Amino acid sequence: MAEPAYTVASDSETTGEEKSSTFPEIAIGIDIGTSQCSVAVWNGSQVELLKNTRNQKIMRSYVTFKEDIPSGGVSSQLLHEHDLLSGATIFNMKRLIGRVDTDPVVHASKNLPFLVQTLDIGVRPFIAALVNNVWRSTTPEEVLAIFLVELRAMAEAQLKRPIRNVVLTVPVSFSRFQLTRVERACAMAGLHVLRLMPEPTAVALLYGQHQQQASHDNTDSGSEKVALIFNMGAGYCDVAVTATAGGVSQIKALAGCTIGGEDLLQNMMSHLLPDSQSLFKNHGVKEIKSMGLLRVAMQDAIHRLSSETNVQVDVDLGDGLKICKVVDREEFEEVNKNLFEKCESLIIQCLQDAKVEVEDVSDVIIVGGCSFIPKVKNLVTNIFKGKEPYKGINPLEAAVCGAAVEGAVASGINDPFGNLDLLTIQATTLAIGIRANGNNLVPLIPRNTTMPARKDVVFTTTHDNQTEALILVYEGEGKKVEENQLLGYFKITGIPTAPKGVPEINVCMDIDAANVLRVLAGVVMPGSRQPAIPVMEVRMPTVDDGHGWCAEALNRTYGATLDLVTLQKKA
Amino acid sequence: MTLSNFLRRTTSIPQNSTLNFSSPQIKLSPSPFETQIPNFHKPTFHYNSLGFLRFSGERSWCSKSAEKLQSSSRCWNCDAFPTASESAAPFLFCESCQCIQPVDYSIDYFQIFGLEKKYDIEDKNLEGKYKDWQKKLHPDLVHSKSQKERDFAAEQSARVIDAYRTLRTPLSRGIYMLKLDGVEVDEEKTISDPDLLAEIMEIREEVEEATNSETLNYILSQMQEKMKNWSTTFADAFQSQNFEEAKTSIQRMTYYSRVMEEVVKKL
Repeated sequence: MAEPAYTVASDSETTGEEKSSTFPEIAIGIDIGTSQCSVAVWNGSQVELLKNTRNQKIMRSYVTFKEDIPSGGVSSQLLHEHDLLSGATIFNMKRLIGRVDTDPVVHASKNLPFLVQTLDIGVRPFIAALVNNVWRSTTPEEVLAIFLVELRAMAEAQLKRPIRNVVLTVPVSFSRFQLTRVERACAMAGLHVLRLMPEPTAVALLYGQHQQQASHDNTDSGSEKVALIFNMGAGYCDVAVTATAGGVSQIKALAGCTIGGEDLLQNMMSHLLPDSQSLFKNHGVKEIKSMGLLRVAMQDAIHRLSSETNVQVDVDLGDGLKICKVVDREEFEEVNKNLFEKCESLIIQCLQDAKVEVEDVSDVIIVGGCSFIPKVKNLVTNIFKGKEPYKGINPLEAAVCGAAVEGAVASGINDPFGNLDLLTIQATTLAIGIRANGNNLVPLIPRNTTMPARKDVVFTTTHDNQTEALILVYEGEGKKVEENQLLGYFKITGIPTAPKGVPEINVCMDIDAANVLRVLAGVVMPGSRQPAIPVMEVRMPTVDDGHGWCAEALNRTYGATLDLVTLQKKA
Repeated sequence: MTLSNFLRRTTSIPQNSTLNFSSPQIKLSPSPFETQIPNFHKPTFHYNSLGFLRFSGERSWCSKSAEKLQSSSRCWNCDAFPTASESAAPFLFCESCQCIQPVDYSIDYFQIFGLEKKYDIEDKNLEGKYKDWQKKLHPDLVHSKSQKERDFAAEQSARVIDAYRTLRTPLSRGIYMLKLDGVEVDEEKTISDPDLLAEIMEIREEVEEATNSETLNYILSQMQEKMKNWSTTFADAFQSQNFEEAKTSIQRMTYYSRVMEEVVKKL
């Protein structure tokens, strides 16, 4: 199922050449959240958020399928929140994109008020909207693309120029495969991705700009500041540690997981209606409506619990099913205890990875929709011994503003006041390696490696006269390959016949500053000064959906005949 | 010579490897520092990706050395000599035409940061100097420039990152210094020193049995103390060109740093 080489990449490269001749187009920044999204652009002197025709800077991320023409949250005029829950509206696509139907996140999405069906066979789930009582199948990429088209039209109308280049923010925990799905959605919408930025690193760039501006005003320049960024939205939770000085931000460590407001919401729904799973098993019109009503009521309750200590939940789900209950804040925190603990451990892990002590952190930045939840704010500040969070960054606009600044910097725009005199040095989010030594993942580039990076390891054959070897590239932190995401594979052929352990098979991984991964493989025989076969260079990822199947099929077909082991240096 | 010499753009960083507590034989982690051949021209890789696969048949492995030698003294772009202020610093970037120079492997990591080749680098501003370089060399800042210069940026930037990471911690700095003097530390070598073996067994037990953070913190401070002592031993040994002693110190330091990583993970 390796994909032909037509992807977004080649598409993008050609347009890169076109634009260099004319005035550089400023790339816009887009933050597509699980629940909300926004667009911003560098207007020549500062970042400006673009508004839709209803004067909103922050729009809901959803697409409603009606008759032939789907419409999204940018343009459509929602009469009532409940329209969103008729079964025709698809949302939470950021939680579903690039996932197979065995993924627990997909399973947890089955109570969304549209169809998410899983058959647990390792392919993409069946996602569909109910249009005129017929299930209209779609994919997260398609929904995202429809939405991006609307965002693009909105931006073009306002900026009065065609939009092509974008910087998009993405969750830290996205695999490279998921990133290709986002790129695919952008390509479908006619957009060229200049950069996919992990969300907290966009915030880090904005923070770097603030520090730079502050040092211009004061005499206190050059001193390095370490900041921790905690970003929790509806779908994902991300942490970054950044060290910034003189406009240069070095990302020291990143950590992320699939925990967000959606999980808090689901926990509350099953808390108030424990048998909701069985009640809503059938996705009929009635059930969808009930699920939708419950969702809206709980969402509202959680929002209100941020400012009130207890709220009244009063909702009629139909069919004589009513929920009438007072929920207090402690109850909410108790129900979601595990999630909050996970957030804490994510922060601690990130600090450890960055080799930074709590005392070294000058600023703690809390952003994202969940930053309004008192418990979230408290759990972060508690780790930092009650330190007041950083002010001066809008928690809902930080990521998109950072993306817009990156868009300007990456488009080569200069600012006479030095406001774009910035640089973010990124780090990798997940380890990348190849399968070797049996079923093990041998990481070549560990996570939190500064980019650009290039590392190589020498492997060798496992059989006498083995002339071919399979290079299976994985991403993830698991020790065994099956715990990780397969990114792609290729075969090297023409290894000179020799006893096992003799040929030196050099595998090299290269990640450039734009996070493009290339894997190079070559063979050298001991004593020779030249590669025995031409070096093969492959851009990753190469796999499409169903990667689990590929790995299994390869194993079935070839067994261990094309295996590799790491070459031990001789004493 | 291995293929890595051809492929290599930068030296590798010691990889994180976990201490295998269950194995009776204790091995030190591989740290694949490859020998850098000064003035050997590394092929640059062109990042035009019109497809996934590209054979490198047309790539010349070592034919451009002449061009390389020239460029180490003059700017490849504007032919200017480094300015007075630049000639004191390594010539990675031409101030006259704001142009990134090709990697010159004869410039070592210490020289990149304008440091004397010394183990005790008291310089607290290593990170600052590193960031100053990145502001000139990072590929993100040369989008609009030629493919050639973008390739130079990728290589220079990556090399400065490696230089910074190598010099930042005493252990990797020590290994690198030995390497500059032609001494390879074989970290895969099985430990044969009975004293160290006994010590390792003891620490291993301690860490395994430690249940509370107090004990773990105590072990951690012990390790830090040992690290400091052996670090001093290394510095003295290196100073007096006693490379055997220096290697032994590195071996010990590698081990202690591994224990510290394990303890931190457990904390």
